[in-house]
Amino acid sequence: MSEIMHPLRMKYTREHVKKTTNCPGCGNGIIVQAILRAIDELGMDMDEFAFVSGIGCSAWIPSPLFNADTLHTTHGRPIAFATGVKLGKPELNVVVASGDGDLAAIGGNHLIHAARRNIGITVILVNNGIYAMTGGQTAPTTPRGVNTTTNPYGTLESVFDISSLVLAAGAPFVARWTTYHPRQITSSLKKAFTSRGFSFIEIISQCPVQYGKVTKSGSALDLLKHYKKDSIKIDKARTMDPESLKGKIVVGEFVNEQKPELSAEWTELKARVMEGRS
Amino acid sequence: MPTVTVLEQSCKGVEDCGICTFVCPASLFSASEKMNTAGYVPPQILNQEKCTGCRNCMIYCPDFSIVVQKNADGSNSVEEKEEDE
Ligand SMILES: Cc1ncc(C[n+]2csc(CCOP(=O)(O)OP(=O)(O)O)c2C)c(N)n1
Ligand code: SF4
Ligand code: SF4
Ligand code: SF4
Ligand SMILES: [Mg+2]
Repeated sequence: MSEIMHPLRMKYTREHVKKTTNCPGCGNGIIVQAILRAIDELGMDMDEFAFVSGIGCSAWIPSPLFNADTLHTTHGRPIAFATGVKLGKPELNVVVASGDGDLAAIGGNHLIHAARRNIGITVILVNNGIYAMTGGQTAPTTPRGVNTTTNPYGTLESVFDISSLVLAAGAPFVARWTTYHPRQITSSLKKAFTSRGFSFIEIISQCPVQYGKVTKSGSALDLLKHYKKDSIKIDKARTMDPESLKGKIVVGEFVNEQKPELSAEWTELKARVMEGRS
Repeated sequence: MPTVTVLEQSCKGVEDCGICTFVCPASLFSASEKMNTAGYVPPQILNQEKCTGCRNCMIYCPDFSIVVQKNADGSNSVEEKEEDE
């Protein structure tokens, strides 16, 4: 009998990469598989994709693991790089996968303007509520009141609702799930990969090693149990008052609509201007 | 019956991960008595005949360490869920 291998690993990852870079129990690994499963179920080829990430633990999701074109860029800037790739090669499926610090803090402006411009890329924002790679500092996504390395007496700031921000900026596809929902992540990603506009998927993900330890939220399983217990689907959440939604994670697809996409508009404009010249 | 295989070398350990022990509806996973070359204790799977073929363990494992293969005729024992609730 031949050796049993994981089919997604065999088909879509680089052979020389023997291990993921994540700590034991990290949610990033669940997201890795959810992305590859979406590509597999769509019957797409890795050559149709370019993956772009910034700096942080979550930025290691596509690179060096995925056997595709991967750009591991500077902290906060993957959406800027991805915008360039998409405008240069509009036929590519350009996918950004990076952390909450990377995309919502230092890179926050790129995020809102990419949503506003409706550039046809997919952004997967891994929200572990902390700057994990650098040692558990407070991020804009850290809940108010928890202890972190930089707020040993508890954070004093309100938490950023990133999906609402991206929604308000005009993104035509916005979804939020947790790592307890890998099948739903895959399903939303399949929509994102086959739609033309800017698609945003926020994934609440466990970081047992930094977030779990510094905020005393416990192990990977403790965090997954919290996601299981406290996630509320958007349809149900709409019928609930803010008081009863405290401490809950609202999940689901918040919007899915069609809008004119920037790289397609550019291509059309270019054709129109060139025609006028000839 | 579906076949469940633990790829022990890439597992990061039941002690700090253990996600398979949490997501299996039949609670078939527990710590084994082994240790892989990275020093992690992979799970063992007991009473495999109780496996429903739901594939949770494969889908949730963050390190590609579990493979669920369908029945010999290619069918699955149960309808796979569309969603995780
Ligand atoms: C310009 C710049 N500023 C700061 C850093 C240090 N730095 C590296 S990763 C990181 C935060 C990463 O947090 P996040 O994006 O949430 O990723 P995580 O590790 O949590 O997945 C910071 C501040 C850097 N590399 N470059
Ligand atoms: S520090 Fe946290 S986010 Fe980074 S790899 Fe470890 S568990 Fe994952
Ligand atoms: S397929 Fe489902 S029932 Fe079978 S071992 Fe995996 S999680 Fe348990
Ligand atoms: S979920 Fe995977 S990595 Fe985690 S303990 Fe089980 S087999 Fe090992
Ligand atoms: Mg983070």
